[in-house]
Amino acid sequence: MSAIFPPWSTAAFRWVLVLVAALLLAVPIALMGWVRTPYVTGELVPIEQPVPFDHRHHVVDDGIDCRYCHLTVERSPTAGLPSTEVCMGCHSQIWNDSPLLEPVRQSFFESRPIAWQRVHRLPDFVFFNHAIHVAKGIGCESCHGRVDRMPRILQVVPLTMGWCLECHRDPVSHLRPREAITAMGWRPESDAAALRAVLAKRYQVSPSTDCSSCHR
Amino acid sequence: MTPEFPDGADLPPDELSRRELGELLGAAGAALSLAGCIHSPTETILPYAHHPGPITPGLPLFYATSMVLDGYATGLLVRSREGRPIKIEGNPEHPASLGAAGVFEQASILELYDSRRMRGLRRRDQPAGWNDLRRRFGVREGAPERADRGAGLAFLLEPTSSPLRRRLLERIALRFPESSVYAHAPTAGYGSRVAARAALGAALVPQHDFRDALRVLAVGSDFTASGPFHLRHARHFASTRRVSTPRDTMSRLYAVESVPTPTGSLADERLRARPSELALVLAAVAHELGAGSEALEAAADRLSPRQRELAAVAARDLDRHRGRGVVIAGEALDPAAHALAAWLNQRLDNVGSTVWYTEPALHLEGSPAQDLARLAREIDAGAVDTLVIAGGNPVYTAPSDVPFGELLERVEETICLAPYENETSTRCRWAIAAAHYLESWGDARAYDGTVSLVQPLIAPLCGGRTADELLAVFAGEESHDAHAMLRDLWLGGGDDGAGTRGERGGDRFWERALQAGLIEGTTLTRSAPVASLDAAVRLLEERLREREPPGLEIALRSDPTVHDGSFAGNRWLQELPDPVTKLTWGNAVLLSPRTASELAVGNGSMVEVETAGRAVRGPVFVLPGHADGALTLHLGHGRVAPFEPAAAFGFDAYALRPTAAPWVVPGATLRALAAGEMSARERRHHALASTQQHWRLEGRDLVLRQTLEELRARPDLAAAHRGPLPSFYGWEPDPSAAAHARDQWAMTIDLSVCTGCNACVIACQAENNIQVVGKEGVRKGREMHWIRIDRYLTGPPEEPVAVHQPMLCQHCERAPCEYVCPVFATTHSADGLNEMTYNRCVGTRFCSNNCPYKVRRFNWFDYSHGHDDTAALVWNPEVTVRERGVMEKCTYCVQRIRGAQIQARLEGDRPIADGEVVPACAQACPSRAIVFGSLTDPASEVSRSRQNPRLYSVLHELGTEPRTRYLVRLTHPHPELARPDARRPADAESTPR
Repeated sequence: MSAIFPPWSTAAFRWVLVLVAALLLAVPIALMGWVRTPYVTGELVPIEQPVPFDHRHHVVDDGIDCRYCHLTVERSPTAGLPSTEVCMGCHSQIWNDSPLLEPVRQSFFESRPIAWQRVHRLPDFVFFNHAIHVAKGIGCESCHGRVDRMPRILQVVPLTMGWCLECHRDPVSHLRPREAITAMGWRPESDAAALRAVLAKRYQVSPSTDCSSCHR
Repeated sequence: MTPEFPDGADLPPDELSRRELGELLGAAGAALSLAGCIHSPTETILPYAHHPGPITPGLPLFYATSMVLDGYATGLLVRSREGRPIKIEGNPEHPASLGAAGVFEQASILELYDSRRMRGLRRRDQPAGWNDLRRRFGVREGAPERADRGAGLAFLLEPTSSPLRRRLLERIALRFPESSVYAHAPTAGYGSRVAARAALGAALVPQHDFRDALRVLAVGSDFTASGPFHLRHARHFASTRRVSTPRDTMSRLYAVESVPTPTGSLADERLRARPSELALVLAAVAHELGAGSEALEAAADRLSPRQRELAAVAARDLDRHRGRGVVIAGEALDPAAHALAAWLNQRLDNVGSTVWYTEPALHLEGSPAQDLARLAREIDAGAVDTLVIAGGNPVYTAPSDVPFGELLERVEETICLAPYENETSTRCRWAIAAAHYLESWGDARAYDGTVSLVQPLIAPLCGGRTADELLAVFAGEESHDAHAMLRDLWLGGGDDGAGTRGERGGDRFWERALQAGLIEGTTLTRSAPVASLDAAVRLLEERLREREPPGLEIALRSDPTVHDGSFAGNRWLQELPDPVTKLTWGNAVLLSPRTASELAVGNGSMVEVETAGRAVRGPVFVLPGHADGALTLHLGHGRVAPFEPAAAFGFDAYALRPTAAPWVVPGATLRALAAGEMSARERRHHALASTQQHWRLEGRDLVLRQTLEELRARPDLAAAHRGPLPSFYGWEPDPSAAAHARDQWAMTIDLSVCTGCNACVIACQAENNIQVVGKEGVRKGREMHWIRIDRYLTGPPEEPVAVHQPMLCQHCERAPCEYVCPVFATTHSADGLNEMTYNRCVGTRFCSNNCPYKVRRFNWFDYSHGHDDTAALVWNPEVTVRERGVMEKCTYCVQRIRGAQIQARLEGDRPIADGEVVPACAQACPSRAIVFGSLTDPASEVSRSRQNPRLYSVLHELGTEPRTRYLVRLTHPHPELARPDARRPADAESTPR
């Protein structure tokens, strides 16, 4: 009686075993890698806004400080989006007939909010607080990037938990003086490490990696 | 797919056919595989167009307002986020609150966002406008007034203390001199008023101060957990019972009651008595104190030897502490009891120190039945053509012998103000949506008279109106804006009736009053009238002459969770366990173990209670400590309103309430229903849903009890239940972690002052977005409360001693839950918190199985889904809303801790002061049984409590090192009284189901 399986079937069976083992490893690894891609994290994904607000222009050409519009960043968990009144503070005088600003005028006169599209989105189970980060010497730029070069706001960092933890475990290399919190492209003039060590001490920087720091 | 839990109520989720299960599995699989491919949906940010003044997005604001219940105000502080109120807390400056808040106040916020509320105004079935109502009933140019000077016009109000409403009623009386005003107060007592007029010669009400009361005799009075001043009384009474060294003294409470209450559970000497015997106990005390009268002696003779003995001992004890005692009689007691209590307080020199009298704060008191009966007679005689029902639900709360619903339909014009369509509004021609108090302007007095302001935090969501605005139409006011009327009353120079003129300094006065929530200096003046013993004896003789019909006595009580039925639609309150029976979603016939065995019924038996030809059907609940020969029924359940499915559970005990005896109904019979007499559906409807099934301690030291004498003899009893235990691992805190944490959080709960009143449970529910699981869920043990109050009974079943033990996450330093979590979803923080990270949890439930305290709750379903968008507005934005399949538990309100930490660090890295972080439970607790703080501050309250000799850990022998510790329950019994429970008590023989 001839064998049911030909001799090569042993080899084939072994290859199949190896392949299954490899897949078992590869699929989770691939998925884990995939969730970290910009496609999932939303990095650099352009988002259409109701008003083509140009940060580059307002920051560089006009020299407006971030806190002029994001005015609660130093005391509230949220940095705050300006109310339409703030926009109209200037735009009732300049560009007050620009068609691009029609939604702003409409919002102002009809008392209806402008529906901005969120760019930096954290999950609902994450409680981020702007005020404490700013107070401890973390600049806007550290998370939001070179806003002064963005005609349209983009998310430039992954905003994943791993990315948060990197800084929470070693915050010192991200510190800057409070005076330069909103500065774009700030670099320490001299010995960076020494300055940051001084800042860490002065601001009593000791971020927590306890889960409940962010998850409540 | 339809939402899983439309009402969070009564939809058993497990009755699936196999086919449906297959469909769901398939759908779930498809949904899962698709979920990964979907980008996070975009979210919009809507900044203000015009920034409203004080709001900072992301930060809360607090406003002072007041909630009015039964006519009395309780001052509140309401937390508001971006213009929406989200949490109700007590106003520390208000005399009725002192910073605490009760269950009704706290749960009332749920109703604000209830989408089932009535909207606007309707006339018959047609929507109408406010102006239609004004044109019909207001003053119109050129239109003639009613020719009968208002003789056919009647107003039915809830009891009220509001100075504004008083002014409006006066103006109505000017416009319609012949009109009549009735007040229906289903929860009001009547005895104290009759007694006051007879014995004190004036309609005065007693005021009590428990701060200096060393001896308290409470007869049928649950003064720490119900009534308009219970938060204050609980705070003050607890302050006399905080023993921190064996040298301290404590007060002694004698409680005489028919049904166990939270106050009775605090008692050092508790005595059971049938409702009709309560006045006799007071008579016996008066007799012991030398009041010579045959009636008193006759009354005392009717008591049992034990009752007489306690009366004698209490009398002597009170007499030894003259001027430092309180005798308080419950609201539901008859006039004789109140007159005797008044005389006793006078005889004991308590009047002027711990007891005094004032005019009643209510200018319209009403009665539980008589006023409505009077109105019914008028309607029956055809004398009423227009009836204005400005609040309340009289059709439901009417006594059984007043067919108010039918009578209403004979009135030509009926106008009803109601928050929901209810039994009354559906029978009225005009129905007007009532504004929630968080949407209203108004005023009311606290029990001591303090004028408290009701200030809105949000514009009416459903176009509601207040009772004052409705009355203003009939008063012919030009303005029907409650704010304008209120300002006019308090700033315009009018007289508020208390002799205080409105000339007070204009806007600055007004701002200050709104900020404080009250108007200073408006407490009622004290008086000390002479109480007449003769009048008391006459009332008692009247009582004794009454023939007692054979049968059981029914004691009716307003429900501790749904009150008179007005909170029956509130899911938080329906699921709140009764403080004594731990029943949720419905009521039961409460019986003593002996009476139950005599009647051959047991827990859950369906019975019919019948009196005077009327009957109700419901389940029996055997309650150790209940008086024999009596049964207690809670009002407020069994509503028929079909639009409130949550309200329909239980049976309607109003059906047994006669006008003549609204609180104690004699001559009832109880009959067990045979198997065929009640349908399966009805049985399911009435099935008991209790959150606690076992009441015995089984000899375990979960709750330690000591008397003050024992503490003095053996101050180290608790020492065996605290301190280090041998361990294989040793225990050293991680030095690197401790360096991060300035504070080490801990909690201490004093079992001596916990009344089990549930204020903490609702506070936690509101603060932490805790979902409701419905009656079926509770029956399966799936309730989600992060803090539960365990109630244990020791001693013989007739005279048990009840102890309440709030049980919440113990934040063990060596937490069993943390060792077994496979995904590190539950971890320990550097400052000593046992953290629960929902987004990591995969729902193995290992942690819950390994938790010896059983404080972890699992989301079996998406309880938070299926609500409409309005209902979600009540959720605290600082706490994650949990989804299906994750575990949750007490976090020590970590959002408040982290918030305070951030604030302290923003303010120059200052240390957090003691008392700056208060978890919701500790904040709401009226008796301050819960203290919370940091152990690194040796002066903090919690650090000091750790030095208390009564300190112990629950299940200390397991070595979990809990951060939540307890203080031994301390009582102060009278040494001369025989103990029914000798030394080591046998456990009570009673377990439901």
